[in-house]
Amino acid sequence: MEMLLMGLCMTVFGLAVAAVAFGAATRPESSAPKVQPALPAVKVTPARFFSDYVVPPIPPQQPRVPIEVLLQQIENHVRVEQAAAESFVEFPTHALLHSKTTSPFVN
Amino acid sequence: MAHELLSGLSPAEVGQVLTLGTKVTVSSGASLFRLGDPADRIFLTERGRIRLTLPMQVRGREEDILIEEKSPGQTVGWSALIPPYRFTLSATASVETELIALSRESLQACFETSPAVGYKIALNLAVVVGHRLQLVQAMWLREMQRTVELRSA
Repeated sequence: MEMLLMGLCMTVFGLAVAAVAFGAATRPESSAPKVQPALPAVKVTPARFFSDYVVPPIPPQQPRVPIEVLLQQIENHVRVEQAAAESFVEFPTHALLHSKTTSPFVN
Repeated sequence: MAHELLSGLSPAEVGQVLTLGTKVTVSSGASLFRLGDPADRIFLTERGRIRLTLPMQVRGREEDILIEEKSPGQTVGWSALIPPYRFTLSATASVETELIALSRESLQACFETSPAVGYKIALNLAVVVGHRLQLVQAMWLREMQRTVELRSA
């Protein structure tokens, strides 16, 4: 009986030692500050697949229309605006001066 | 052909002025005068069309941009009668164009001998110049208005 009690005590003691050791192993370090410093804001970036995402270089602004077409557009704009100005000079009113241009060059 | 510069003159007076002129023919695309040239002749358009242009930078190139187009009966080159007597635009024929060139010297001599003719032509010239001013003024304001709207958007 004494032997049984002795064995039981030893088992309980062994379990207690194991529990303390386990607790010590899994406890965070006491030197670490309890309040963590604020982390820098994480910038959400698009998901990357297979390779690093590389920002494509911006190509230089290409002329959208040939210069001859652009010059023709400018000339048409001048004609349209001159016609609008002629209407104003013929009959000067605020409405005619500020009438919306029909020129596609600026619309 | 009724010329705006000679409006209100009697047929005899018109004849008197036209005898001072010389006919000029400009082939299609050819230049009548260039911006900055000395202006010693004013032109009455008889036939064809004259493009009045100013230089503008377009994509790094200097291009002549149309300002106004003159048709038969209209006057070209009034800088010849207004100091500093230099053309403030370039003039090019859109198609083969005929004009009557009147030299400042001969016109001034005519005005001295016939002040009534000089008076009427001066009034007509004021109409031509004033019309250009009013047109450009209205066009400038419309462009400014668009710029303001773009900046306010």
